[in-house]
Amino acid sequence: MMHLLRQAVSVVALLLFSVSVHARAYDDVIDSGNITIFVYSDYAPYSWEEDGEQKGIDVEVAQFIAEYLEVDLNLLMRGADENIDDDLRINIWKGDLIHRRAADVMLHVPIDKEVDARNDLAVINSPYFHEEMAVVVDRNIIPNLETFGYFTSEKVGAELDTVSDFFLSNAFRGLLHPNIRRGPTFESTINLYAEEEVAAVMASRAQSEYIANRVSHRDSYVVQPPMPGIVRRDWRVGIAVKHDSRDLGYAVGDALNELIVSGKLASISEKYGVTYIEPER
Amino acid sequence: MKQNFAWLAFAGTLALSGAGTATAADVTIDDLMNDQASTENVLTYGLGPRAQRFSPLDTLNKDNIKNLFPVWSFSFGGEKQRGQESQPLIHDGVMYVTGSYSRMWAIDIATGDELWQYDARLPEGILPCCDVVNRGAAILGDKVFFGTLDAKMVALDAKTGKVVWRKTIGDYKAGYSYTAAPLIVPTEAHGPIVVTGNSGGEFGIVGAVEARNPDTGDLVWSRPTIEGHMGTLNGEESTMTGTKNETWAGDLWQNGGGATWLGGTYDPDVKMLFFGTGNPAPWNSHLRPGDNKWTSSRIALDPETGEVAWGYQTTPHDGWDYDGVNEFIAFDMEKDGETIKAGATADRNGFFYVLDRTNGDFISGAPFVQDISWAEGIDENGRPIFVPENRPGNPAESADGKKGESIFAVPSFLGGKNWMPMAYSTKTDLFYIPSNEWGMDIWNEPITYKKGAAYLGAGFTIRPLFDDYIGSLKAMDPVTGKVKWEYRNQAPLWGGVLTTGGGLVFTGTPEGYLKAFDDETGEELWKFQTGTGIVSSPITWEQDGEQYVAIVTGWGGAVPLWGGEVAKVVSYLNQGGSVWVFKVPEQLASR
Repeated sequence: MMHLLRQAVSVVALLLFSVSVHARAYDDVIDSGNITIFVYSDYAPYSWEEDGEQKGIDVEVAQFIAEYLEVDLNLLMRGADENIDDDLRINIWKGDLIHRRAADVMLHVPIDKEVDARNDLAVINSPYFHEEMAVVVDRNIIPNLETFGYFTSEKVGAELDTVSDFFLSNAFRGLLHPNIRRGPTFESTINLYAEEEVAAVMASRAQSEYIANRVSHRDSYVVQPPMPGIVRRDWRVGIAVKHDSRDLGYAVGDALNELIVSGKLASISEKYGVTYIEPER
Repeated sequence: MKQNFAWLAFAGTLALSGAGTATAADVTIDDLMNDQASTENVLTYGLGPRAQRFSPLDTLNKDNIKNLFPVWSFSFGGEKQRGQESQPLIHDGVMYVTGSYSRMWAIDIATGDELWQYDARLPEGILPCCDVVNRGAAILGDKVFFGTLDAKMVALDAKTGKVVWRKTIGDYKAGYSYTAAPLIVPTEAHGPIVVTGNSGGEFGIVGAVEARNPDTGDLVWSRPTIEGHMGTLNGEESTMTGTKNETWAGDLWQNGGGATWLGGTYDPDVKMLFFGTGNPAPWNSHLRPGDNKWTSSRIALDPETGEVAWGYQTTPHDGWDYDGVNEFIAFDMEKDGETIKAGATADRNGFFYVLDRTNGDFISGAPFVQDISWAEGIDENGRPIFVPENRPGNPAESADGKKGESIFAVPSFLGGKNWMPMAYSTKTDLFYIPSNEWGMDIWNEPITYKKGAAYLGAGFTIRPLFDDYIGSLKAMDPVTGKVKWEYRNQAPLWGGVLTTGGGLVFTGTPEGYLKAFDDETGEELWKFQTGTGIVSSPITWEQDGEQYVAIVTGWGGAVPLWGGEVAKVVSYLNQGGSVWVFKVPEQLASR
């Protein structure tokens, strides 16, 4: 069943060039019989493409939302820009510069008062995940990672130009510089760990658990040592819709509520090695 | 200077006896090298490989410029407008011009009729950082070449516009893009080569200069701009750029920036390529101790091998986003009775540099904008004298994520001069620099998120220095470092400059005017309202005994994308997309 559904998703994705480009209100979405949902690319375990197949927790969440609303799913998967403000502009309220395409709903949007206040053309709500920063560590090299001080002598990986990279580069006034290894993508960062070039990788907790699960030949654990100076140690993840599509946001919120209380989101997460933590709602 | 005139005269003779009389002739590499002297065509970006943007034509002069009138205007059409930064090429009665969204047209100059249009089909998922511009094409043999926003180089049949070959020069999915005009230069070992830089997003891209075979598009050599990376020659590794980790910590050199997105110039005299390199990555300089070579630099390359002949860093350890991509223009400088093989460049950082182009030795560095605050000046070794308190702080050190202390840096990150090319007159020996007088407030930004996780960035606002103008066209004497005259414009200048043997300096304004100035005094002699902002570079040529001038129009580029105080002076400007062609009607030419 899942396999068939995924095939359907890819077929619909191919037809995307002809669909409407602006984020739409609830009635328009239902009338048209399809919904466009944005997810990040190269963002395992939430959303990524592998051998032409789009997979991940957020991909399955998007599929559930479409099923719940009884419409077809157009999945809009593309990369992250410089920051969340750019992502909201490109994917929700304005569209991209070349094709002017936006989605009806964006998944994986941090819920943060300051972000919300700055971006009044998008509405952010419906928390469905609790996320936090963490480190996945090889137990045989560092049995107990109490502080980041271990990385003055052991190598640590991070995805290039991400929060983990910024944190490690700044830590102890640059003391860790010689031991940081950066992967240009998340996939290549996993490979740094799989090929034992690093003793640990800093990433979100879900990503850390995913790495621990996937790189099965290493005996790994996930830990959250003190992170002096980190901006947010944990936060909630929700969705965004365009400011004049609030009714669509509420309908998607109902779908997410069903996904959470039925326990489905926990079992989807488990498939990817991720422990589901329900956010405060 | 004598040498230079002799060379021009020689080239002029060639042009008269050769290509000038031929019809439908294929363009040769010699034609490209002689482009500055051959006034009946414009075959290169910059009116010659040195890109001096000087035409010896003097039919049009200070007296008859008042009679310059439009001949035709050609609309790029479609729904796609935005910034038009392109410089047209002219060959054999045909104009080849590129436009926004990676489009190109061939136009019959006699009638203004379209001959063909090429429209690159751009894939999903390109996120160009700045605007969807293109700066121009190159021509050789029976082909025209240009780069597209999805980082492909395309060779088209000049007669039909059909694709001859199309090669990937970078992966757009990794953030690579292409907007510059390609450069074609001669080599002994490989024949003519097409030389390109690269461009893309802020972090993760390593700058490089690449040479390709114009017939096949195959790579001949490549030269990364960042220390520690290996170059290639004929499909094999050649040499490393610099020494690994000499001016970079840890593995940061692997993703160091230094993109060469504005392309380069070539001097047939010393047989060297000159490329400018972009700012280092990441933006926060506190994350990458060291000089970070060769970012924010000029580098000279041997076209035979791609080896670095010399490098000169204008902003070591850049912390202000002072991209060092600006053009380096070769010229011969008379100073103290000697002729110096010099080159000059006007940097984002506000200083105008004169270097010895044979070895990169520093000769002088003088401010060309006012109130520069990041450095007190340039010392005798060519290194900036930094003002430490005007380096943007480390966002990570504002622990609570509140707006930290603000600094005011001049120039702004859009630069004392941005991409728009200056011109050098062999008549007046002056450089004409399109510059802007603005600074930026930088502070530690409130919280933001990247790919789902929270961090502190930097916030900035660009502010004009003066109430009544931002744009400033300056005549700079490279010998003294003094500004001889200045024209002030309310909106920021974003277009290139052209100067002529007739004593004229042309440039366009965002307000929509193409203007002509007296090259000695800066007096405004002529202007024409084109109906939309100008952010491109004018050209001039001679056809059937008449002197033509052309400019691409269409407001856009980086300025409208960045808000701040500057937005107020440009917010009313309308977009567009067309070419305007002018000449003096024959019956008025002698008046």
